Amino acid sequence: MSNLTSKLEVKNITKYFHGLAGSKICALENVSLEINSSDSKGSINSILSKPGAGKTVLLKIISAIEKPTSGEIFIEGEKYSRPDGRIVFIPESPSSFPWMNVKENISFGFKSKKNNFDDTGEKLEKLISLAGLEGYENYHPQEKNSGFRFRISLARALAAEPKIILIDNSLRTFSNETKKELYELLRSVKLKMDVGFILATTNINETIELSDKIFLMQKNHGKIFRQIIVEEFKKDHLSEDENYTLRMEIEKAFNLHEEFHDIS
Amino acid sequence: MNTKKYLKYSHKTLAWILFIWIILFEFILPSNNFLPKPSIVLLSFTALVKDYHLFRNISITISEIYLSMFVAYYVSKIFFQYLGSFNFFLDAADSIYKFFKFLPVIIPGIFLIFWIPNSNYTGFIFAFLISLTAISAAIKEESLKVKHEYVDSAISLGAKKNIIARDVIWNGIQPNLLDFIFQFHYFLWLSLLLFEFINGGFGIGAIYKSALQYRDLSSLFSISVIVGIIIFLGFLVLKYLRRKFFHWSNI
Repeated sequence: MSNLTSKLEVKNITKYFHGLAGSKICALENVSLEINSSDSKGSINSILSKPGAGKTVLLKIISAIEKPTSGEIFIEGEKYSRPDGRIVFIPESPSSFPWMNVKENISFGFKSKKNNFDDTGEKLEKLISLAGLEGYENYHPQEKNSGFRFRISLARALAAEPKIILIDNSLRTFSNETKKELYELLRSVKLKMDVGFILATTNINETIELSDKIFLMQKNHGKIFRQIIVEEFKKDHLSEDENYTLRMEIEKAFNLHEEFHDIS
Repeated sequence: MNTKKYLKYSHKTLAWILFIWIILFEFILPSNNFLPKPSIVLLSFTALVKDYHLFRNISITISEIYLSMFVAYYVSKIFFQYLGSFNFFLDAADSIYKFFKFLPVIIPGIFLIFWIPNSNYTGFIFAFLISLTAISAAIKEESLKVKHEYVDSAISLGAKKNIIARDVIWNGIQPNLLDFIFQFHYFLWLSLLLFEFINGGFGIGAIYKSALQYRDLSSLFSISVIVGIIIFLGFLVLKYLRRKFFHWSNI
């Protein structure tokens, strides 16, 4: 039975893929992680590893897009095996629909959850404003840069009123300026909405900048070998010294796993 | 190549061909069995209208081609959206389409002529069946290529299968599907002209048959020019539709 206080509990997830000539490839083996209610209410959690560790597979399994070979996912104590919008996945590549404008893209989030459409007008306006898309309601995603597309994907995800949003390395390719804007956006959503984020990333700076909790994932079989609660390293905002200490802590942890050199 | 460039090159090529033809066959070789004199071709348009019922036959062929493509597109759309992206209908269409890669489509056309002789609708049935098979098979093939990020996002948002098929996959395949129809449009003209030629009776293919029987070189030439213009206009319309309604990049 799952722990009822957990917002999200990932329990012993193992995933095998079929390789060539009938061989089995192990992507994840007994991966477990937990986000408590207090953590996930307006929290940003990161899974940090080097590329190819299995973060995307794990996120797809958490969001029930893919089935694990074994293991279970619980959300607020309830088994989560069919996607119903409580855990929304934002893929690495832009996923806002290019055939829909901003409004239609966000409305798709409402539609998917079968929300009452009469009730969505005001919510739509709020989400547009929250995501910084005011004035661009009738634009199509491809008419602006990839940061704009990410904002649409985020607003669409929020329209489904999820408990958890999984972001798969989506911020990786953005310019520093766009990254800063999107970090601000994520922080503001975290403050205003009851939603927990899980960011899969290979970037230590991004992890330190954004996270409340960091899960360090090892390259082989995706095991979470360490979790760091950032609050323990800071008082209010992370000062330069605290930032350095946290970075050292992460690098030390990866060093112990002989993986540090491949982390960007 | 974009439409403007396409038109520019087409105009240039056409102007050159026209110029050479006029000089060569009006003044240098006015009497030959290879190509007709330009002045006789102009006169033959009257004969085409009067003796070969040009307007009736053109309307029949055009409606058979474009109506069959239109109906086939919407029938496939209904099957796709109500039965989901992977259904028996699309699988069957795909199998038939693959089978006819090794057998010219005119062969079932000949059987159709045998089964339904002297009918006004045989041409339409033939064009519709080819269109339905080809468009459905293309839909099946293209739906496998839709960017999985779109589908994954929709699944995780809790969208039902029919909503994903209708709002995500169907829209995702449109640019490539239109590109396919763009190519297929020419193939359908080819097949239907051949079908009408064999069947006789109605359509532009039937005009060719009669003109050939009467050894009417100028009419053969005139009708070819008309067919060329219609196909060219058809391409332009399809290109316009692709650009206007399916403006996003390929999946």
